[in-house]
Amino acid sequence: MSATTSNASVRSTEPLVWGNPSFHDVTQTVSGIVEERKTPIWWWVAISISGALTLNFFAMMAYLFWTGIGVWGNNVPVGWGWPIVNFVFWVGIGHAGTLISAVLFLLRQKWRTSINRFAEAMTIFAVICALIFPGIHVGRIWVAYFMFPIPNQMAMWPNFRSALMWDVFAVGTYFTASFLFWYTGLVPDWATLRDRAQTKWRRLIYGVLAMGWRNGNKQWKHYELAYLLLAGISTPLVLSVHSVVSTDFATSMQFGWHTTIFPPYFVAGAIFSGFGMVMTLAILARIVYPPVKNYMTVTTLERMAKVIMLTGMMVGYAYITEFFMAYYSGNKYEQFVFVNRMFGPYAWAYWIMFSCNVIIPQIFWSKKMRTSIPVLFVASIFVNIGMWFERFVIVITMHRDFLPSSWGMFKPTIYDIGIFAGSFGLFFTLFLLFLRFVPMIAMSEIKGVLPQAQVKHHHGHDEGGA
Amino acid sequence: MPSLKNGNSKPAYWRSMDQLADTDDFRQFVEKEFPGEAGQLDSPVTRRSFLTVMGASMALAGLTGCRKPVEHIVPYVSQPEDAVIGKPQFYATVMPRGTAPLGVVVETHEGRPTKIEGNELHPSSLGSSDLLALGSMLNMYDPDRSKRNLQNGAIKTWDDFVGWWQEHEAALAENRGEGFALLSESFASPTLNRLRSEFLKKYPRARWIAYDPISEENRDRGLAAATGSVQQPVYQFEDAEIILSLESDFLQGEEESVKHSRAFAAGRRVMKPEDTMNRLYVVESGQSTTGSMADHRLRMPAGRIAAFTAALALELEKKGLSIAGSDALAPYASHNFDRTWLEAVADDLLHHRGKSLVTAGRRQPAGVHALVYAINDALGNHGHTIRYRSREDVLGSDSAALKQLVDEMKGGQVGTLVMLGGNPVYNAPADLDFAGALKGVDVSVHLSEFVDETSKKVTWHLTRTHFLEMWGDARATDGSVSVIQPMIDPLYGSHSEIELVALMVSGEPVRGHDAVQETWMGRYLRGEGERGWRRVLHDGILANSGEQGGAPRVNARGVSSLLRDEPFSTDEPTRDNLEFVFASSYTLYDGRYANNGWLVEAPDPISKMSWSNAALLSKKTADDLGVKEREALILSANGVDIELPVYVVPGHADNSITLEMGWGRKGFGRVADGHGADIFPMRTSAGVDFALGGKATGTGRKLEIANTQDHGSMEGREIIREATLDTYRKHPKFAKEMVHVPDLKSLWKDWTWSEGYQWGMAIDLNVCTGCNACVIACQSENNVPVVGKDPVRNGREMHWMRLDRYFVGTIEDGRMVNQPMMCQHCEMAPCEQVCPVNATSHDNEGLNVMTYNRCIGTRYCSNNCPYKVRRFNFFNYTNKLPELIQMAQNPDVTVRSRGVMEKCTFCTQRINAGKYQAKAEGREVRDGEVKTACQQACPTNAISFGNINDPKSEVSSWKKNSRNYGVLEEFNTRPRTTYLARLHNPNPKLGDPVFDTEFVPHGGGHGEGHGSNGHGGNDHGAEAGH
Repeated sequence: MSATTSNASVRSTEPLVWGNPSFHDVTQTVSGIVEERKTPIWWWVAISISGALTLNFFAMMAYLFWTGIGVWGNNVPVGWGWPIVNFVFWVGIGHAGTLISAVLFLLRQKWRTSINRFAEAMTIFAVICALIFPGIHVGRIWVAYFMFPIPNQMAMWPNFRSALMWDVFAVGTYFTASFLFWYTGLVPDWATLRDRAQTKWRRLIYGVLAMGWRNGNKQWKHYELAYLLLAGISTPLVLSVHSVVSTDFATSMQFGWHTTIFPPYFVAGAIFSGFGMVMTLAILARIVYPPVKNYMTVTTLERMAKVIMLTGMMVGYAYITEFFMAYYSGNKYEQFVFVNRMFGPYAWAYWIMFSCNVIIPQIFWSKKMRTSIPVLFVASIFVNIGMWFERFVIVITMHRDFLPSSWGMFKPTIYDIGIFAGSFGLFFTLFLLFLRFVPMIAMSEIKGVLPQAQVKHHHGHDEGGA
Repeated sequence: MPSLKNGNSKPAYWRSMDQLADTDDFRQFVEKEFPGEAGQLDSPVTRRSFLTVMGASMALAGLTGCRKPVEHIVPYVSQPEDAVIGKPQFYATVMPRGTAPLGVVVETHEGRPTKIEGNELHPSSLGSSDLLALGSMLNMYDPDRSKRNLQNGAIKTWDDFVGWWQEHEAALAENRGEGFALLSESFASPTLNRLRSEFLKKYPRARWIAYDPISEENRDRGLAAATGSVQQPVYQFEDAEIILSLESDFLQGEEESVKHSRAFAAGRRVMKPEDTMNRLYVVESGQSTTGSMADHRLRMPAGRIAAFTAALALELEKKGLSIAGSDALAPYASHNFDRTWLEAVADDLLHHRGKSLVTAGRRQPAGVHALVYAINDALGNHGHTIRYRSREDVLGSDSAALKQLVDEMKGGQVGTLVMLGGNPVYNAPADLDFAGALKGVDVSVHLSEFVDETSKKVTWHLTRTHFLEMWGDARATDGSVSVIQPMIDPLYGSHSEIELVALMVSGEPVRGHDAVQETWMGRYLRGEGERGWRRVLHDGILANSGEQGGAPRVNARGVSSLLRDEPFSTDEPTRDNLEFVFASSYTLYDGRYANNGWLVEAPDPISKMSWSNAALLSKKTADDLGVKEREALILSANGVDIELPVYVVPGHADNSITLEMGWGRKGFGRVADGHGADIFPMRTSAGVDFALGGKATGTGRKLEIANTQDHGSMEGREIIREATLDTYRKHPKFAKEMVHVPDLKSLWKDWTWSEGYQWGMAIDLNVCTGCNACVIACQSENNVPVVGKDPVRNGREMHWMRLDRYFVGTIEDGRMVNQPMMCQHCEMAPCEQVCPVNATSHDNEGLNVMTYNRCIGTRYCSNNCPYKVRRFNFFNYTNKLPELIQMAQNPDVTVRSRGVMEKCTFCTQRINAGKYQAKAEGREVRDGEVKTACQQACPTNAISFGNINDPKSEVSSWKKNSRNYGVLEEFNTRPRTTYLARLHNPNPKLGDPVFDTEFVPHGGGHGEGHGSNGHGGNDHGAEAGH
């Protein structure tokens, strides 16, 4: 495999890991976080907040199941409200993980190694949050299994013409693949933790998780192949999941939804929001675990900022294309939808979306901005806000459709807000558990990109760990 | 509850609930169940304690005076010959309403009425019904109805009352009824009238008067002046080519609107370019259903219309017509009315002598009615488009007599007052202070369906039967007589007014059935006996008992003296001297339907608001007052302030505010209480219909209103397609040419839809008046739940059918157009393709069907429905329905649970019933045999439904009509419901601001843009909206 010149040059100019740690230092730093006896205070504070939100999430869902989805603000014409906004939002976030781990892996982007574990974990937690929403948004959750093609005595069969069915499979597959990919990458690190374990329980639990990993050459060979294959399998998923999610909208006949640009536009948006979220989390991790700074370096963050800017511009291009196509189609229904988005009662949401997604990322033309941690942090939050509003704008488009007689407005209720906040609670709870109990940086992989691993200068890519 | 303490301490046998109520167990129970409230048992009776006692004693003893119909109906010991369990039976009866009863047919299932339809044999109905008639059924099942007779709040039986009356009567009979007054609602009933004369014979000094807050009193007085006696007009709208309505809402708000709608539609229906249609001029203050059908509509404060009528009469005279009584019109010669309009109307009327019709609304003063009589007479319309009958068996509302009665009550001259229905404490003119006057009456009796405002202030409240529970009779406006027969035993042992009067006349309880039969056997069925009686019951009318009527000579002196005695106002309302128009509610009438969920939630045809009234006013008035849409407006008149939301209605007269009656109830019922504001305190004898001197001030605060349609503009979309009659004649296919429908293909193999029945519907927008009868018919037929104010505000109303109302023209002078909208049963249904579980799919007869059991509630179908006609059960709307209301439900239609989508089914249960019947008889379903509920209710026959595979069916012929078009069909939905475009017949002299440009058909090329150049350029563009 030949590394591209640009990769080589990037590598030669900037070390991927700062502070020139030895292999042992890497193990020490990353495992140390997990093995630390005393759980830090901030962790307890953080998990009590996110845990409270999570409990509220489940309590509100219980109430929802008990009374009906009328507790939300959904109505006619806005049949889908925040639950679907949240679903698309979380699925979008879940994109960065696979992109970083699979696509950048195949593209030999070495800088990905410091954040891939992190991003994959985020992906899995985001997809878990995402999967909850389509489940709970249906009116009769107790028969939601009708969506699955289970042979039954009622002679029911799902309608495969419906994009919601495609969703079921696309997101399900994505979750499975992402999880396998993440877990496969974790196996050598589980083994490291097992080997370093001081207590019986640790040894047992990490031992089970490590699935008998012995660091044997044969095992590494299989591992490498499996990892490569999974990366290959996951790569199309990066494109497919959000493309399929976008068909929920694009295959309908509502203007503002019914456009062929949706699949690529959604994928770009997903990567954009995913990188935004990884950025937010990485900066937080750098704050709470300062040693991590040498791995999740400013250079890595800068590269992510470039991706954010690029995908932000793609999204901006999509917004403009949509608008232009509406104008160019000569279709007054479609034209109205876009004019209404920009100047209608929800124009504020549109402009929040537009500013956050298109204008704010433009600051990354400046290297100073790209390398300033506070700027990156604030911008990444804006990216997430903007992307949530993008989905809000799309879903709420329904409020003024074909017949003006049925036009209406959508107002979220306390349950919309509580459940949305609760999904963040769940996400952060899972993430905090991840930080505490799982190595957040792929030790084996990071060792492969250390200068020490490159002594032979024969092959650019990671042929093995320590 | 005085007797609580007085009874025996330990009765061995209890005779009344009061005695039972005094047991220790009961007291403990109350203490436990209602802590802190038991003390109220000893205090003077409050409504609360009454309910407590009732509830507790029923729970304790299982004693219910309430006779639930199930006890009588199920099971049949031996099945009646003609009754098949599961098959509905239909009985004819009549809905009494004032002087214009409506013949109905009631569908009953195993003895309980579930649906009201019109009676084809009855001249007032001709098979159709209206909003109020359809909704009135729910009143019978109202759980808040009065269930007990009360004497000063204490529960009494009917026998108690009879005993009391027999004692009381002796004194009354002795002084020949001195100080005895009877106040009823207006009626048209042979039996009641017979009893009235017997009553007056027995009590010669007694008085029996009638009062209704909404009545034909102005017309009665006007016609009495013009002809010498009170006359009942019988209109023939079908023969009128030119109609001028002077604030007469003859299509919905006024007497006989069902009949008039049918006749008006007959004169308006156009099926070929050669057909003619009538031309309607409307002068009115607020928007009305009739106004929405106008070819020319002139907005004008209600108080100015009288002077306008005078000006019209003078204009007609100037053009050579001689109008009786016109000598009194000199004061109105100078005016500032639109002269072009006036002249154009006058010319049109003159060119159509004998074929025109001028009609004045019930709010217009007597003088206008007298003058209109003279105008119609001079135009030669009498005997052609309008005839008159002298009234019999009718007692009309008389507010002068009410005023006199109240004066006497206040003077202590009325010892006994019996009120048959009505609710004068609530709705008598405010200056009379009826409630105060009632204190001067020794004994008052109120027969009422509800423990209403009046019932709470009387000695005796007697529970009254609903018309579906009683025997009675009624005389239609054309004189036809019918019998009212009960569909069910009175749910609460109530009694009818006939039974009460019969008791007062004879001193003995008389069954309603016997009283009615006595009248009929003696008057109409002499010699026919039981056979004739049964035929009348079966038909719902006595055959050939109606009469055509004639045209009494106009009494010129009568007209002119009335005009002189009661001169028309020439004052114009201003910003600081506003005109308040007190309008009857389209949905609550005078407030009697205030506790009726269907009607309270039914959107008002004009404002599309439910669950409240509003201050309806023009944009200019709102601007002048400095108030914004939905702002809380403080209205002051007669020293009373009320607060209502501002609702701008395009086309409303300036400086005039329309206020609807019936709202703002307290302690009336669980549905009624606390919605809107009561306007009756503002309504005085001096201005019962409208009054100047109103003030309005904004508050800056917004009020939440629940309306089913927020947006009134069509946004330049070709949703309701209209053209003038001229354009139609030049471009018969104008409706289709307005939008280019490209040759669209299906993604999958097309179904041919060529075999068997293929159900389809067509709706003629040219005759649809937007009256909302179909909405309630659908609700009643299909068990559509009532959801409440907040859900409606949040767009969660469940009506399967809605009337889309748009305004066209300017925000100041907008014209209202209507379109019934429900599931279009698209052949390429967008909803079906997106449902992940196949819960909505097509059947082989072209119906878009919902499988409720399969629906998981993703709401994707609703999102993808371009017509937004799908309704979602956000909560379980049916599990908390009171048991009584459950009995009003149609057993042939599934009750939907929470979490499923629902929508119009084309009344699939009726289609199946029709198919079963046809199959049993070995034939095909005949055209017109299956009628949807909306179609059956429609007073103008605007809806046609049937098999589109049968080229001879009516619906096929409508669909072949050149005006036929599908809404949004350019998006390849292929709707099975199509519309016939609306036509306008403007007077060429006046033109039509909306239609003054030449029609330009669509270019046809795909690339030229879809429908951007519709008729009259962008004529919907400058629309009024909210």
